[in-house]
Order: sequence, then C-alpha cells, then structure tokens
Amino acid sequence: MKQLLNAFIAIAVISVILYVSINQLNSSQGYSSGNTLTIYNWGDYVDPELIDRFEKETGIKVIYQTFDSNEAMMTKISQGGTTFDVAMPSEYAISKMKEDGLLIPLDHSKLPNLKNIDARFMDLSFDPGNQYSIPYFWGTVGIVYNPDMVKGKKITSWNDLWDPEMKNKILLADGAREVMGMGLNSLGYSLNDTNEAHLQEAKAKLNTLTPNVKAIVGDEIKMLLANEEAAAGVVWSGDASEIMGENEKLDYVVPEEGSNLWFDNMVIPKTAANREGAHQFINFMLEPDVAAQNAEYVGYSTPNKEALAILPEEISGDERFYPDAETTEKLEVYDNLGKKMLAHYNELFLEFKMHRK
Amino acid sequence: MRKNSKLSNLYLVLVFAILYAPIFYLMYYSFNSGGTMREFEGFTLDWYKEVFQDTRLLIIVLNTLIIALLSSAISTIIGVLGALAITYVKRRRTKNTLLTLNNVLIVSPDVIIGASFLILFTMIGIKLGFTSVLLSHIAFSVPIVVIMVLPKLEEMSSSLVDAARDLGASRREVLTKVVLPYITPGIFAGFFMALTYSLDDFAVTFFVTGNGFSTLSVEIYSLARQGISLTINALSTLIFLVTILLVVGYYFITQRNNRVKGVAIRK
Repeated sequence: MKQLLNAFIAIAVISVILYVSINQLNSSQGYSSGNTLTIYNWGDYVDPELIDRFEKETGIKVIYQTFDSNEAMMTKISQGGTTFDVAMPSEYAISKMKEDGLLIPLDHSKLPNLKNIDARFMDLSFDPGNQYSIPYFWGTVGIVYNPDMVKGKKITSWNDLWDPEMKNKILLADGAREVMGMGLNSLGYSLNDTNEAHLQEAKAKLNTLTPNVKAIVGDEIKMLLANEEAAAGVVWSGDASEIMGENEKLDYVVPEEGSNLWFDNMVIPKTAANREGAHQFINFMLEPDVAAQNAEYVGYSTPNKEALAILPEEISGDERFYPDAETTEKLEVYDNLGKKMLAHYNELFLEFKMHRK
Repeated sequence: MRKNSKLSNLYLVLVFAILYAPIFYLMYYSFNSGGTMREFEGFTLDWYKEVFQDTRLLIIVLNTLIIALLSSAISTIIGVLGALAITYVKRRRTKNTLLTLNNVLIVSPDVIIGASFLILFTMIGIKLGFTSVLLSHIAFSVPIVVIMVLPKLEEMSSSLVDAARDLGASRREVLTKVVLPYITPGIFAGFFMALTYSLDDFAVTFFVTGNGFSTLSVEIYSLARQGISLTINALSTLIFLVTILLVVGYYFITQRNNRVKGVAIRK
C-alpha cells in the first residue's frame, strides 16, 4: 500500500512540475489569454518567423494547429467544439465546404492586399468572385523522373510514360482524379470530362499502361523516388520540389498535353471567433514581402504577383514550378463533378488498379 | 540439445535485431548534418539544439507527457475498482457479461472510439482541448487496467481474506493491508500499459484535440505532408532514451523488492 501511495504521490508531483513548466513556456512566448487567433493549417506550411512577426505587429496571439487531410479538417470544423479562425483547404474541399455551409463570406474591403494576387489565380471555378477563399499556394500535377534511369530520354508528355522502355519503372500517386486526369489528358480530353465514352476510352488507355506501372502508392512515393526505386513518378509539384530537394539528380516536368492546377486556399470557417483578426491575418499573408518569405520557406509556388517580383531569380525563374503562360493555359482546375460522377471516377480508377498486367 | 539452444539463441538475436533496427536507424540519422535520411554526411548536434529551441514542440511534448501520466493514474484507480467489483460479483453469468463488455472496449477500433468521442463531446458542449483528450484517454485505458489487474485478483486465494477477517481486520483494512499489496504488481503493470497506450495513441487523440492543444502523435502525423525533419528523429531518440531509463529503473526496483522478500522468507 505504501508503495502504491508513493507512486501516486510521485505522479502527482511530476504532473504539477510539468503543468508549471508548460505554463512557463507559454508565458515565455507571451501567450496569455485575450486576443487570440487559431490557424488551422497543414503541418509546417507557414514560416514560424512570420507568425512571430504577425503577433508583434498586431498584438494578437496565434495558436497554430495542424491537420493532415482535407477530409479530417472538414470533419473537425463541421463538428464544432473548436474555434478555428483561418483554415487552408485545397480547392476541391472548398466547393464541398461551401455546399455544407462551413464557410463565411470574406469582406474584401478588409483585404486591400488582395490586389497583389495574380489575376490568373482569381475568380476560379471552385469559388467565383473569391467570395470565400483566397489562394495561398498553387501547383501542378506532373512527372518526376530520373534522367539516368530513362537512358537520357527527355520526358515531356504523358504519352512518354507509355513507352515500352519504361516497363515496370513508373510510380503513380494514389488519387482517382489524378490518374484518370492523366488518362484523359493523354488523349487530349479535359480532365473534368464527364462524357462516358471518353472516360471508357481513358480507362482502356490506362489499362495499357499497367505493364509500366511498378506501384500505386501514397505519401511514400516521395521517399521511393528520392531513393531511386523507380525511374518516374506522377506527383504533385509540391511533392516534386521536396523530392528534388532530397535528390538533385531528379527532374520535374509539367506534361505538354496539359495537367491539373491545384490550389491551397485561405478561408474563414463558420466556427471563427475572431473574424476581425482572421481578416487581418489573411491580409498580412498577402503582403508581398511576407508571401515571398513564406514561399521561400515552404517551397511551393506563390500566387502573389508582387512577391514573385521580390523572390530570387532562381526560384521565380524556375519554369518547372512557375510555368510560362503557354503551359499555364493548358492547366485545368478540378471542377466539382458531383457525388455521382466522382464515385464513377473512383470506380474506374479502382478497375484500373485491379487490371492485370 | 546444445546445438538446438544455439540455434534458438541465434533466432532470438535475429528477432531482436529486426525489432530494434528501425529505431537505431532513426537514431543514427538524428546526428546527420545532411538534413535528410538518405546519406550520412557528418556528425552534428544541431537537431537536438533545434528541439530545445522549438518552444511549440516542447509544449506539445509536455502536453503529451502530462496527459499520459494523469490519464493512466486516474484510469488505474478506476480500473482497480472495476476489477475488484468484477471479482466480487458472484453470479457467473453477470461476471462473464461484464468481462466481455470490457473486452469489447479493448478490441474496438480506435477510429470508432475517437469518432464517437468527438460526437459526444461536441454534443454535450465540452470544448475540445485538454479535458476532452484527458477524458478519452482515461476511457480507453480503463479496460486495459482491468485486464491487467484481474488475473492477480483471481490468483489470490480467498483464504487470505478470510484469515484477515478472522483476525479482526475491518473491511477497509482487508482492502488496504491485504488485497491491494497483493495485487500491486498487477496495478503497476496496468499503469504502465495505460501509460504507453496514452503516449502513442494517434487515432482517438486526433479526433478530440483542438483549441491549441495537441499531442506529439497528432503533430508528427500532420508533419508528414511536408516531409518529417530530422528534429523529429532527435526528439524520438530522446524519448526512446528516457523510456529505456524508466524501464531499467523499474527493473532494478522490482529486483530489489524481490531480494528483500527472498531474505524475509529465508528468515
């Protein structure tokens, strides 16, 4: 009994010490109650220095919370119980959140820096008039390849993946829209195509790709490509920049037939408690020098025209991540196809996955 | 026979090597100045420095620890009481029903437990954060404690209690002087099981964190999109070392206790 009591006393003492040190750490950062703002973002998706700067400039304390998928974030927001003031969903999630009434309209008069965003990235199909969302970062879907392993061949298009030389050398990201989009694009169709004949044609074409496909994988695709386990991989440009950061041999290309253009966006969820602060934060992130610093830290492409001008030439001049107007023209944003069509895409993708070599 | 034991030793070494390899691999790269897990470029302690400079990460680690300690302590108390109650139920059918219900909670998937807690907490208006995480950790730890304590209680012969009663012990004395000391090893085992469950739980915690409160598992998981930096390697190494120290400490304490008991018997 004494032993048990001692153990419990020890636990209580340790807990108190921990509690005190948490408070100490919190207050050392100036975290006291009062004016706070909760940011709900992907892990490590903003430069921490910028958050410090924002806190100093406005006196608002920022709580940075992270999520790992759009779906998880939507669940948390729709359930309530937390007060997220700003969130950063991807574009397809925005139309869904809009439909579910999870977002509040933005007050553009409080966002004077909105003028810095490139007109190309405004007023897109998923949010006409940018009523609910402001682009945060953008990118493409393309091919990462290893020049050594494709024998010096230059990959420029989706159709290069069908080359018999590539037998068992290709990795695909596990996304129905991405892979189906690749099939549609390679045939010259739009990746938002809903024409049944075109979809079947795309699937039939994808089936002929199976001998070349080594695996269809999730996030581990980054590690596999960096470790040279495969010659080429279909990935998002954000992943590509990371993979190339780890293995400089690799190269990235946006296929010439066209591809997907994706966005992560800043929105204000309906759970927001500090709407004034949320607008302040969004406006702060749109400032040219802030956006530039953030783009350098995160490594994704910024939609901020003024920030692009400040960024070093080696970043802004990199056509792989800031493609020229001609390539951008061919890029398409995913439309919200509706539940039924999306299920159909998923089904076709599943059939492709099950197709025997 | 000898050859056989050599073979089995080899097998044992192999199994342990496989079990520990990933951990040592991770620890090795925490000293890498290169910044990735691909090539070892040179020795550095920068990542450790970064761990201690990242206040946000430190707060999260401390949160994780305090939740683990508190939830396992509280669930140990509840679990021991529960185990006592189950042993004192005399009707076989009721007892089996209670045990089965307890086991269902252990085997039910974390995701489902987590989602149900999220719905429950938001429905009754508990704000997500420290309280919600603590409550859900207690909830999934209690059945584990019960399972760890029950065998000790079953093993205890009822004549011990009868003898104590005969010698004039009150109900309370029977509990504190006979039953609890007897099942102490079970209680500690339950506590440590609950502690490890709480430390590494992702699925349940993920659903119920919020309002600036987060634990290590949730944080590391959401870092995955950007690629996990070697800071996490350094942090994991530190945590692994602390765990080893705790286990070794626990081992020596039990060793000493056994020796003391042994001496007493010889007398």
